[in-house]
Amino acid sequence: MAANFWASSHCKQLLDPDDVDVLQPLDRERGLTQEEFKLIKIHMTNHIWKLAQQVKVRQRVIATAVTYFRRVYTRKSMTEYDPRLVAPTCLYLASKAEESTVQARLLVFYIKKMCSDEKYRFEIKDILEMEMKLLEALDYYLIVFHPYRALLQLLQDAGMTDLTHFAWGLVNDTYKMDLILIYPPYMIALACIYIASVLKDKETTAWFEELRVDMNVVKNISIEILDFYDYYKGDTCKGEPVKGIPEERINAALNKLATK
Amino acid sequence: MAVAAPGQLNLDESPSWGSRSVDCFEKLEQIGEGTYGQVYMAKEIRTGEIVALKKIRMDNEREGFPITAIREIKILKKLHHENVIQLKEIVTSPGPEKDEQGKPDGNKYKGSIYMVFEYMDHDLTGLADRPGMRFAVPQIKCYMKQLLTGLHYCHVNQVLHRDIKGSNLLIDNEGNLKLADFGLARSFSSDHNGNLTNRVITLWYRPPELLLGTTKYGPAVDMWSVGCIFAELLHGKPILPGKNEPEQLTKIFELCGTPDEINWPGVTKLPWYNNFKPSRPMKRRVREVFKHFDRHALDLLERMLTLDPNQRISAKDALDAEYFWNDPLPCDPKSLPKYESSHEFQTKKKRQQQRQQEETAKRQKLQHPQPHARLPPIQQTGQVHPQIRPGPSQPIHNAPPPQMAAAPGHHYGKPRGPSGGPSRYPQGGNPSGGYNPNRGGQGGGYTSGPYPPPGRGPPPYAGSGMPGTGGPRGGSAAGYGVGAPNYPQGGPYGASNQGRGPNMMGGSRNQQQYGGWQ
Repeated sequence: MAANFWASSHCKQLLDPDDVDVLQPLDRERGLTQEEFKLIKIHMTNHIWKLAQQVKVRQRVIATAVTYFRRVYTRKSMTEYDPRLVAPTCLYLASKAEESTVQARLLVFYIKKMCSDEKYRFEIKDILEMEMKLLEALDYYLIVFHPYRALLQLLQDAGMTDLTHFAWGLVNDTYKMDLILIYPPYMIALACIYIASVLKDKETTAWFEELRVDMNVVKNISIEILDFYDYYKGDTCKGEPVKGIPEERINAALNKLATK
Repeated sequence: MAVAAPGQLNLDESPSWGSRSVDCFEKLEQIGEGTYGQVYMAKEIRTGEIVALKKIRMDNEREGFPITAIREIKILKKLHHENVIQLKEIVTSPGPEKDEQGKPDGNKYKGSIYMVFEYMDHDLTGLADRPGMRFAVPQIKCYMKQLLTGLHYCHVNQVLHRDIKGSNLLIDNEGNLKLADFGLARSFSSDHNGNLTNRVITLWYRPPELLLGTTKYGPAVDMWSVGCIFAELLHGKPILPGKNEPEQLTKIFELCGTPDEINWPGVTKLPWYNNFKPSRPMKRRVREVFKHFDRHALDLLERMLTLDPNQRISAKDALDAEYFWNDPLPCDPKSLPKYESSHEFQTKKKRQQQRQQEETAKRQKLQHPQPHARLPPIQQTGQVHPQIRPGPSQPIHNAPPPQMAAAPGHHYGKPRGPSGGPSRYPQGGNPSGGYNPNRGGQGGGYTSGPYPPPGRGPPPYAGSGMPGTGGPRGGSAAGYGVGAPNYPQGGPYGASNQGRGPNMMGGSRNQQQYGGWQ
């Protein structure tokens, strides 16, 4: 919301890559592995996404919710903050912060419709209680900037608006990683444009040069994104099906936390 | 907040993430009370610093943390300016608290949340209403300049305050003025064309475009309020004290003339123009009514009280006005006299005593002096009443009540304005009788109407009203188009917006006299 990203709390809170994706001691004691930690975060990102589809909120709300979710686990353990409750609560809080409020009872209703697993089902009071804990865990910093607006402006500037759909999808997928906690949103947008242009054989060298951005950062982000695709998904660009994450693995990981 | 640098130990007793406990503060006394929550003057135990604690009430909230508080926190976290109240931090109390009467405070979600602000001694209305108070011209210029500077900063940062009025302008004993109470504020973006609620701004300070029902507006709404305050400071009393919306518009037309397509292109297209169409044209009388103002003040006021929001002066241009650059120049805030602090809640006790005195006086059939009226400013410098503040150790509320048997001079005494809140905020559960022209004669309150109470509830148009909403029109990449930007806002939770508004607000704005600490 702030007019200026550089003056925003989001900017000041960007984290060092080493401080993100770090297993909390409590979770490690429970035997959670780094890999499982990552998987749960991806899985719960998808959970937020699916839930959002049901309650119908704007994309921006989802992106903010996922950002809250990932930010929480740079500070709090999954043992104490059950991801299955934190995820819908993030969506609830984000809907307020982004001015398109979703009633708690609607969320509860759709969760029950969507999930047969008892462990995902919560009551209104659980969400409201978690909301307070969440606000505190986020230190009341609720403004989040996203790459979407920058993406559109940059594509316009580069005269590559035909890449919009492809690049937009890539940006969506970056929320399955912690990139939004580490890099300024416009750099993430640039990385997605870079990937899109390479895959679609667009000549962009001159345009990138003119931007005078640190191409090393752009390329590093791009590599992270591509590595993520290699590892977790089929190459959607080549029409391969998404491999996804086997449910047993997620459940095994979540069972270690044994929160509910 | 209390965050240690990376790699360092956090030496505060407070946790490095999350908020500190309210126990870090010692509550000294209550200085405000509204339905929104209590406000306390408090001392930070470790540093001795005096702060204001504004409690965020959680009861009556079916939807958890109030969205109004979320808005206020979001906005205050991004504004850092010497003329904008500073949100220092947010603290929580871990367990259920008892209120002063020892009752549980009804908070279902354990703990309470407080916003910690820097402490300010006065608000502008309270100060202006002090018995015998007269502002000197350099003092008025000084306050106006600070008000405009703070507001310009908000507008540059794409924040509309939407409740500019004297009691929301806090003043400390260094003469600094700060904008407070961002509970109605919201972000806007100059490139978006979404709808905003027109139910904002206290009636006397509400601009004609809102009264005529516009839902597309910008910073000019705040500038109208500034004009009203400016004239009030010079004139000595509120200039447009309407009792309800129709009367407010009439008062505006009587002063500023009636709008037409020539002086305000597009006015006839405003939603409620036809309902409020003036029966006869009236001419603008600003210069006539305020002929006692000096030339530069009048020039500036004319440009602030311009009917057409597009022609109304901006905060930035107002700061460049001759008024601020001609003798007498605005004084240095630090040179202003210091006044004994008075907050509404404290003066309430005095007021009660006064009322008792009056009752006694009545019984003795004594004649009353005329109620104190605000006095116009002193035209020369240096004649300001030297009211010296008592030493800091002396609790203010122990000061004897002002020996004026007259009706309370403080605006807190009796809500300045229509008696009771309803006409100022008719939709706060007290219908003022079919004001809303589009709802015809359906009485029965605004609570169920299509309009949320002023700004508190999410406006029904919320979704499209936000900057940066949506994505590229026409959907997004295959498979990812969740919540496509074209999602209609009347969707499954549309009803919730309407239903919730009144409960969240529930007439909290009826208590406007409580000022900026709410």
